[in-house]
Amino acid sequence: MAQAENPLLDDRTVSFLLDEVLDLRAHLALPYFADHDREGVEVLLDMVRKLARRVLYPTWKPQDEQPPTFVDGRVRLHPSFHEAWPALVETGLLSATRPSEHGGQQLPFLVHAVAAAYLGAANLNVVGLGMLTTGAAHLIEAFGDDAQRAQWMTPLYEGRWTGTMALTEPQAGSSLGDVQTTARRAVDGSYRIRGSKIFISGGDHDLGSNVINLALARVVQPDGSSVAGTRGLSLFIVPRRRPDASSGDRWVDNDVTTTQAIHKIGWRGLPSIALSFGDRDDCHGWLVGQPGRGMPQMFQMMNEARVGVGVAAVATASAAYQEALAYARGRAQGRDPRNRDGGGPQLPLVEHADVRRMLLRQKAIVEGSFALALTAARLVDRAAHAPDEAVRAKSQRLLDLLTPIVKSFPAERGYESVALALQIHGGYGYSSEYPIEGWLRDQKLNSIHEGTTGIQGLDLLGRKVVAAGGEALALLLEELEATAARATQSGVEPALGEALRAAGERLRGTTMALAQRGLRGDVLGMLLHSHDFLELASIVVVAWQHLELSAAAHAGLARGGPQPRAFYEGKVLAAQYWLATELPRVPQLAALCEQGEASYATFPDGGW
Amino acid sequence: MKILVPLKRVADPENANKVKIAAPAGGLAPKIETTGLEWKPNPFDEYALEAALRLTENGTAVKARLGEVIVVTFGPAECDQTLRGALATGADRAIRVDVTDDQLDGDLVARALAKLVDQVKPDLVLMGKQTVDSDSNQVAQLLAAYLGWPQVTFAANIVNEDNKALKIGRVADGGQINVRVQLPAVVNVEDRVVNPKGVTSPPTPATHKYADGVRFAPLPAIMQAKKKPLEVKKLADLGVEAAPKVKYLGYEAPPARKAGVKVKTVAELVDKLKNEAKVL
Ligand SMILES: Cc1cc2nc3c(=O)[nH]c(=O)nc-3n(C[C@H](O)[C@H](O)[C@H](O)COP(=O)(O)OP(=O)(O)OC[C@H]3O[C@@H](n4cnc5c(N)ncnc54)[C@H](O)[C@@H]3O)c2cc1C
Repeated sequence: MAQAENPLLDDRTVSFLLDEVLDLRAHLALPYFADHDREGVEVLLDMVRKLARRVLYPTWKPQDEQPPTFVDGRVRLHPSFHEAWPALVETGLLSATRPSEHGGQQLPFLVHAVAAAYLGAANLNVVGLGMLTTGAAHLIEAFGDDAQRAQWMTPLYEGRWTGTMALTEPQAGSSLGDVQTTARRAVDGSYRIRGSKIFISGGDHDLGSNVINLALARVVQPDGSSVAGTRGLSLFIVPRRRPDASSGDRWVDNDVTTTQAIHKIGWRGLPSIALSFGDRDDCHGWLVGQPGRGMPQMFQMMNEARVGVGVAAVATASAAYQEALAYARGRAQGRDPRNRDGGGPQLPLVEHADVRRMLLRQKAIVEGSFALALTAARLVDRAAHAPDEAVRAKSQRLLDLLTPIVKSFPAERGYESVALALQIHGGYGYSSEYPIEGWLRDQKLNSIHEGTTGIQGLDLLGRKVVAAGGEALALLLEELEATAARATQSGVEPALGEALRAAGERLRGTTMALAQRGLRGDVLGMLLHSHDFLELASIVVVAWQHLELSAAAHAGLARGGPQPRAFYEGKVLAAQYWLATELPRVPQLAALCEQGEASYATFPDGGW
Repeated sequence: MKILVPLKRVADPENANKVKIAAPAGGLAPKIETTGLEWKPNPFDEYALEAALRLTENGTAVKARLGEVIVVTFGPAECDQTLRGALATGADRAIRVDVTDDQLDGDLVARALAKLVDQVKPDLVLMGKQTVDSDSNQVAQLLAAYLGWPQVTFAANIVNEDNKALKIGRVADGGQINVRVQLPAVVNVEDRVVNPKGVTSPPTPATHKYADGVRFAPLPAIMQAKKKPLEVKKLADLGVEAAPKVKYLGYEAPPARKAGVKVKTVAELVDKLKNEAKVL
């Protein structure tokens, strides 16, 4: 079957990125990673490839076709989840990046991101549950106390329980400041939680014995008062089952009810549910960290979660690209257009110029996104573990700036990329006999959860580029300059480096113009084209990545690197394609932002 | 039980189409182009390792080892990675005989293994039935002959009887032949041996069902594997002369497969089978 042969991710590209672009060996020299070496990473990736291709991928389609059931108030997963989940847990990946004192293995997040890409390309349902579980445990690790870590964090990292992020409510999606779930302090020091949540992924299932919700709720004082907005929100551990205070070891129901399993168009194997806390007023919650610090605590974890979404988007786009590539080689259709009489043999699709365009566009999107996501993952490591304080601070700044782009670009362009993969399949792509339509549905979520693309645009323009007097943007421009110089040195056509520099300058100019507008008090005018600004910045950042890939490929060609020549040439051409087709859009987008083109802003209500 | 499992790394069979053979026009290529090949353990050897692990543990508590599994490979230093993978999967120690691939043939490997068996003294040599690169299927048979040990080939299931004998179901045309072999012995396996019930070995309860296929090395074990013993030997240490009997004259790629055609009618099909394929 064609499906079994899909490699999901190109192994050579992974090696190239790790060894020739991101210099994993040097990265492993950070003291925190002392127990790891390059060979061990390869053994790990070998294992991950097998798990992805042999175990997880075959379960994706059945899970998509038979989503979880909701019967008698409880959710049941597809049977294959019961084999795939333990297999994922046994790898030790849930806690892999965490410190050894918390049961982790101090693996670089960079390596973890590659592993997640393979596994996510195979089946995002299972990997998604893993990411949620790790995320919940990580919050407790970072902000909880020792007792909470022992009681809740460890079983999560060990995969005996699973975790959720319970933020969203019907009236509070993008604007979490409107969360209404309440928490009242009880005499025993814990809280009584009441409220309802929606879209909580992994919120109920039949896998382990407990689900630990990390929930945002508003503390209400005995006199009924509470702080409005995000400042009033705190983070709580709200388990489905809790230890019974009166009888030691016994665990009792914690008054968390599943009210609905949402029918979704993608990620269908992983239940997203509506939850109700405290219907009997017996839902216990335990405060994590400081009261009123729920949102900042969440935000501290946000970079990793959002890089995770970028990786998931790369994974999905890559699986679809590989499928399309194999299809384009296998299917014959049409003839050489130079044959006037329409004669000659049918050609494989891959011979037609327009199909090659679609393939190269996908490749450029997938590999540019992948390089970007892994660059961000390496920054996550450096921000946490570089011995030098200044390196940590700089890495954090740059990461903060890149995060909205890593979150949105692979998702948005990854959707376009999967659509191209579908297009290459023609009518067959539109049928559910072929896997592409499933990836198209899966991919859409990545531009919605963890903050929609719209919210990422506002975050980038309203916060990130103007933070600390534009320091992060200055750091980015330094990186661009270094890459442009390196590229020219490696033999990349100097015009490409120049084009990147010019695009960077334009990004700086546009940012200045918009920031000034904001400073003058015209906030709406500043943010009017936040989407175009995000697009502009994304194009520049991904061009930066492609130039970096091109430089490494040129170096590989020059010294006879470990990969075949055609492999390196492919990287060079993908970069050339991206810069040639995307950089010309920079001035156009910049003009829209700077001029504040006002059609939709001034659009009359009666005109829609 | 002490088991010796020989492993070979091969070009990733899932990417076999990337193997390049650069032959001069009309001639044979002197060697296979190995640049950019991805190396994987030979799948049949992985099955042998899995079976060996199942024979030396209690399947319900696999961390406590009840026997010893020693993996051995022949190759340059890069092969250490293959051994490390095997150690991470559960093998207890590893040996690499330091040679390059072009110094080897099946017979030389078998002779060297025979000497290694003299040194290591295993109760069982368990190996894959063939490698997926050259498909020779001869090392187990040669080794058994050099050792004067009984051999069983194509094992699809193995029942361990008191670590003294094995009852083996071997694949044959249209069915299975059941044999009992006294240890020490040489056994080679095929893929069914890693079915959930491919190996039965006390104290693992007979009712125990393994996960289908080979086990995966968890991250902590991958890290610990670095600390397990890995010994490097030279052919000379084994007293074997590096003189392969097989001489490789050259390589040639199989002819490219022609694209298929879709026929519209049965008549057309019959016509093509008769006149083009000439099979009717
Ligand atoms: C499959 C799935 C799984 C999910 N899993 C979880 C989970 O596990 N835990 C959890 O807490 N949540 C989860 N969510 C919820 C998800 O995070 C929200 O759907 C998302 O944050 C958007 O909120 P909303 O749906 O209310 O949309 P809205 O906030 O109503 O947004 C609708 C549209 O308006 C735009 N918009 C909103 N506000 C602004 C603004 N200020 N300026 C400009 N544009 C704006 C948005 O960009 C969007 O395009 C999940 C959602 C889905 C679909």
